[in-house]
Amino acid sequence: MTGVPRQPRFDLVDHDGRRVSEGDYRGSHVILFFGFTNCAMVCPRALARLTDVLDRLGPAADRIRPLYVTVDPERDTPAVMKEYLARTAPRFTGLTGTPEQIAAVRSAFRVFARRVEDPDAPDGYTMPHTAITYVLGPDGRFLTHVGDAVPAAEVAQRIRELLEASPTGAPAGQ
Amino acid sequence: MSLQVESSSAATQGLDRAQLGHIRRIEALSKQLRNDWSGMESRVTAQDDFGAFRFQLAFGAWALALAHRHRLPNAPAVFKPTFERLIEKMLLPEVWLYWRDVSRGGGPFNAHLVDQLQEQWDPVARDNIMYSAYLQSMVSMYQVLFDDDRYARPNSLTLDHFSFSWGGGPHTFHYDEQSITDRIYWQMVENGYLGVACEPNCVFQVCNQPAIIGFRMHDIATGSSIAEEVVAGYERAWSDYGRLDDNGHYRILITEDTKTVVDNAHKAPHMDAWLGAMMNAWNRDFVREHYRRQVSEFLVPGDDGTLSVKTDELEFNGRPIEADGADFGWVTAWASEMGDTETLNGLLAHADRYMNPTWSDGALYYPRNDTREDADGNLTLLGPITGNILIGYARLNVPDGLWGLYNEPWDRDHFSEPLVVELGDAVDLTRADFDRGTGRLTIHAARRGGDGEDAHLDVSNVTEFELTVDGREQPELACRRDDLIRIDCPHGGGHELVLTVPSWSPR
Repeated sequence: MTGVPRQPRFDLVDHDGRRVSEGDYRGSHVILFFGFTNCAMVCPRALARLTDVLDRLGPAADRIRPLYVTVDPERDTPAVMKEYLARTAPRFTGLTGTPEQIAAVRSAFRVFARRVEDPDAPDGYTMPHTAITYVLGPDGRFLTHVGDAVPAAEVAQRIRELLEASPTGAPAGQ
Repeated sequence: MSLQVESSSAATQGLDRAQLGHIRRIEALSKQLRNDWSGMESRVTAQDDFGAFRFQLAFGAWALALAHRHRLPNAPAVFKPTFERLIEKMLLPEVWLYWRDVSRGGGPFNAHLVDQLQEQWDPVARDNIMYSAYLQSMVSMYQVLFDDDRYARPNSLTLDHFSFSWGGGPHTFHYDEQSITDRIYWQMVENGYLGVACEPNCVFQVCNQPAIIGFRMHDIATGSSIAEEVVAGYERAWSDYGRLDDNGHYRILITEDTKTVVDNAHKAPHMDAWLGAMMNAWNRDFVREHYRRQVSEFLVPGDDGTLSVKTDELEFNGRPIEADGADFGWVTAWASEMGDTETLNGLLAHADRYMNPTWSDGALYYPRNDTREDADGNLTLLGPITGNILIGYARLNVPDGLWGLYNEPWDRDHFSEPLVVELGDAVDLTRADFDRGTGRLTIHAARRGGDGEDAHLDVSNVTEFELTVDGREQPELACRRDDLIRIDCPHGGGHELVLTVPSWSPR
C-alpha cells in the first residue's frame, strides 16, 4: 500500500483497556501521533507541542480527540501508556495492541519504526519512528499532516481552519 | 561571486553557438516520432542502465531548466514546447515497460525475494523511483519554470499500454503532479526517509536526489514544505550509516530488508559525480567539502590541458556488466555545477578533440561510440546520455546552477516581465533578458532559414513599447496581436532587438 492514507482504519486497545477502532472517534476531529513511551526526545517534545496546540485552540479543542499510538507494543501496555500520558500529556489517549495490530495501523498510516539496539537505552533498544502528526476529519478521513518542525502556533492555525471548514463536527466524546 | 550575479551575468552573455546547438539537439530528439529513438539507444538491453531513455529525457529537461533559469530567462518559448514533448515521451510504454520485469526481482540484492515479488505494471505505484522521481521532477519543474499547472490537473499524466498480442488487456494508470508527489512522499515517510527503492529492496542514494529536488519544485509551486521535512529526515536516516564509504566516496545503495550498505568499492566516477551534481542543490557545503579529493581520483590528464575520466568496465561474478555508466558525462556535469572551470574546460576540450562533435541542422551532439579508446589510448567510449545530454547539460549550466534552481527561484514578478512566449520554427534566440530598472527586454535573434519561414516572436506583458533593431528604431517590425506584441525577426545574420517597456512595473 502506498500513497496518501486517505481512510486509515485501525483495531486497537486504548489505555483503559477498551477495544477501539477508528469508528469510535467519528464525529470528532482526531490528531494522532505515533511514538513509544521510552522515547527520549521526539515524543516528549511532540506531545508537549501538541498540548500547546490544544491549549491555543481554547474551547475548540473540545472537538478534537488527541491520540497517541505506540510503535512499541511489547513494552507499551495500556497501563504503561496511561501512566505515561497522565504524567506527560494528559489530554491524550494512548492506543496499543498486539504486534500484528500495531503493524496494521502503521501500514495504514505509512508509519516508519525500527528497533535499534542501544545499550544506553532502557531495555537496550530504542525505536526511531515517524514524527508527523496526522489530522483526521469527523468522518475518519485523512485531512492533512504536519511535520515535527512546524511551530505550535502554525499547527494551531491550520487545525483551526480545518475546524472552521467543518463546523458540524460534534464535540468530542459524543 | 554570488549566484544571482553569476546568473545575471550568464543571462546578459546569452548563449554561444555550442550552447544553442545543445538546445537544438534536445529539441530535435523531442521532435522524433513516437517510438523513434534514433540516436538515443545505448548498447544495453531493455532500458537497464543509466543511459536509459528515461534518464536522457529527464536530464534533457533539467538541462533546459538550467538554461532557462540562468541563461535565457525571458524566453520560455525556447524551452516550453520541448519540455512538453519530453514529458510526453516519458509517458510512453517503451520508457517504463521495463518495470514489469524489474519489479519481479532476481538481481543480486533482491534475488532472495523473488518468491514474494510479483510482476508490477504501474511504474509509479511503488519503488521504481528511478522512473517516478524523474517524471515527478520534470512536471514539477515545468510548473515552476513556466507558471503553468497543466500537469497538476487531475489525471493529466496517463501511462497506457495495450497489446493485442499479450499482456492480458490494457494497463492504464492516471496520475498528475500532486498524486505522483504523494506516492513518492508517503513511501519516504514509510521508509523513515531513508529513500525509496529503485529495483525492489535497493535504495540508491542517487535516485533519491531527483525526488528531493522534485519535492522542492512542488513546494515552490504550491507553497508546501515537503522538501525541508524530507531533507531533515533523510539526513537523520543516513547518519546511521554514513553517506560516504571508507574510501571517501558516496555509498551507492542500502538494502531495505537487511540494511546492508553497498559501497562504491570500485570507485566508479559516475556514482560520485551523478550524486554530487544533484546533491549540491540542497547540501552544497558537504558536496564541496569532498569534491576536490573525489574528482582528483577520477581525472586523467591529457595533452594541451585536456582531461579525461577513468572508466573501468564493471563485472559481477566474473561476468562483465553491460552498462553505460556515463562516467565522462557525469564528471563533466558535476564540474559545471561545482564551478570548476579548469576541469570543465579540460573535459570539454577532450570531448571536442576525441569524441567526434557532430552538427546536424543546427544541433550539436557527440555520437555514441562503443570503442573504449583510440589508437593513441584516448578515451572515446561514449553513450548517448553523455553525447546527447550531459555534455550539453554541463555547457548550459552555470556554477551552482542546480543549487540556484532549488534555492533561488524566480519571484512572482518574473512572470509579469516581458516574456517571449511564442516563437516561430525558423528563429533562434541566444539572449532574452529583462532589466527591471530600465524596462528593457534585450533579445538576440537570428533566422534559421530563408524567406517564407516562420520567424516571429510573440512577447507577453507589454503595453506601450519602443523597438530598436541593432540600435535603430524600427517600430514597423512589431505589431499588436491580441495581448501580445509580435515581432518579425529580420533577415540576415543575428540581430539585437531591444523592446523598451517604460511603463513596466511589478504586478
